[in-house]
Amino acid sequence: MTEIKHKAFIFDATRCIDCRACMVACSVENNIPMNKTRIWVAGDGVIGKFPVLESASMVYHCMHCEEPDCLSACPVGAYTKREDGPVIYDPNKCIGCRYCMNACPFGVPHFDYDKGLVEGAFIDKCTMCPQRVDVGLEPACVATCPTDALVFGERDELLVEAHARIQAHPKSYIDHVYGEFENGGTSYLILSHVPFSELGLPDIGSLPVKDVSEKVMGYTIPFALSWTAVLSMVATGVHLYNKKNEKPEPQEETMEESK
Amino acid sequence: MNMNTSIQQRFRLPVLVWVLLGLMGFSFVVAMVRYIVGIGAISDLSNSYPWGFWISLDLFTGVAIGSGAFVIAAIVYIFELKEFQPLVKPAVLTGFLGYIMVVVSLLVDLGHPERIYYMLIHTNHTSVLLEIGICVMSYLTVLAIEFSPVVFEGLKWDKWAHLIHKFIMPFVILGVVLSTLHQSSLGSLLLIESTKLHPLWWTSILPIMFFVSALAIGLGMVIFESTLSSRYFKRGLESHLLEKLAKAIPVILAIYLVLKFGELIWAGDLHYLFTSGTMSILFWAEILISSVIPLVWFSIKRLRENPNSLLTGAIILLLGMIFNRFNVSWFAIQHPDPTTYIPTFMSNVKYIPTIPEMAISIGIFSAGILAFGLAAKYLPVFEDEPHPGSTPAGD
Repeated sequence: MTEIKHKAFIFDATRCIDCRACMVACSVENNIPMNKTRIWVAGDGVIGKFPVLESASMVYHCMHCEEPDCLSACPVGAYTKREDGPVIYDPNKCIGCRYCMNACPFGVPHFDYDKGLVEGAFIDKCTMCPQRVDVGLEPACVATCPTDALVFGERDELLVEAHARIQAHPKSYIDHVYGEFENGGTSYLILSHVPFSELGLPDIGSLPVKDVSEKVMGYTIPFALSWTAVLSMVATGVHLYNKKNEKPEPQEETMEESK
Repeated sequence: MNMNTSIQQRFRLPVLVWVLLGLMGFSFVVAMVRYIVGIGAISDLSNSYPWGFWISLDLFTGVAIGSGAFVIAAIVYIFELKEFQPLVKPAVLTGFLGYIMVVVSLLVDLGHPERIYYMLIHTNHTSVLLEIGICVMSYLTVLAIEFSPVVFEGLKWDKWAHLIHKFIMPFVILGVVLSTLHQSSLGSLLLIESTKLHPLWWTSILPIMFFVSALAIGLGMVIFESTLSSRYFKRGLESHLLEKLAKAIPVILAIYLVLKFGELIWAGDLHYLFTSGTMSILFWAEILISSVIPLVWFSIKRLRENPNSLLTGAIILLLGMIFNRFNVSWFAIQHPDPTTYIPTFMSNVKYIPTIPEMAISIGIFSAGILAFGLAAKYLPVFEDEPHPGSTPAGD
């Protein structure tokens, strides 16, 4: 995992003040209509009992997995994983089957349910702002975050940084960087002071969820070929056997039928 | 005899046909609304529930009940149990129409139906959905070839019918292979949803479970449609054949149950059987209706030999297995919703299919029934009927 060299985010839940400026910045940068968004603020909001109150909210967008399940699931290959990190969706290939939405364990890809055939209904998701990153800028959400809850940089450096923050304030954090290994590793690393489930993150192992289905898919062609061979042999065998026994059989059959 | 049929045609048939045409018309209007305004306008599908009623009923159930065609084709052509020959044509016709219905419903469900052929040019080999898409397209072609002799016979092109008959074997084998692949792949489709599908249903052997249950469904479908069409079209029923087919069902269901519970034990998921609330209830109801009751039912000779109870047993089996398809593809799936996601098995996101949404499926199904009726009336689908070309129906 440490060899991966590309861009990533840190999200630090202890710093998030739930101002949602990232949502606005994202929508403006990417021309997202008012009724849609590529970022959600998940989590329980204010938690605890007065006077001991805490807030737990999380900025939620595409995790840009190292081994994306959407990419594995898409029948027409509309998804690609760029070398420098982002998982990119190509609307020109999409057939609108929405299997990527089922495949993504984080529920990230969203669909245009309000568009007909003429306008075209597509999937929408975070792109890691390549139009900004390519010219040396940070993604819009990161650039606008007033409390530095979002940080952008090289993944390996950010991992060091994340662990350093936990080391420096072990009481303020849960000792785990969500996304370091989850689902095969993601490019969105999350630090939190509350259990990750309270931030709305699924409990996922280090194997990406596509693992089993890709293994099964690997058996398809060998299975199809051997199954064809087996069926052909059975059919030939049965045919030859029946031909050999053709003469005595009709008598038996008529016997049975006459009963 | 003649009197009888003419009375039937005057009273029963037109009403049914009008109802079917009405349902088709309504679903056509709904489909137009969907194409103009979007899927959200007619359905309750959302980002939390990207797949719903259409996928569960039209894709999962539609493909499952289409399994009769390959099961009976394998029995007759591969195992050469020629006595079951009379059951082949109706089963192939049901399968053919069923798969057309699957494709038509997908044309409503897909965001870009006009791009459906992209599956053939932009292929992603890790995608289970691609395998299903290609198998269904190919199998539809195979079914068309398997059914074509009936059409040729109806048209009196006996040479062509004879030619197809002569070279039927490769197509039968191809059909069985394609069916095995996509029946099991429908199970594989859910493998990637390991964090969403309840562990009572999610297992790495989902493809095997789907294939084994498809065999039982195939036999159930042959019993179901042979019995019903024999009643409706007033023709003889091959009860002795159906009784023999029914004998195989308990064996398949026993294997199915062993696999199902064996996997639960092996995966250490047994505790969910009683601790998952609604999910446990759904599971037990499904197991009871789909497997336990039919297993006992078809093991009793007296019930197998009576056409009425044979039909009842098949209906119970089919309903149970359809329930299974709904469970795995809908009821037991809790989609996370990033805006309000509560990461428990029972997420708070609701999905209730709308009436227009169901109307689409009902309309497509009506078209299927109508097409079956027309084919059965004008083509020599049933062996014991004379060539209808000689006596055009309607007197």
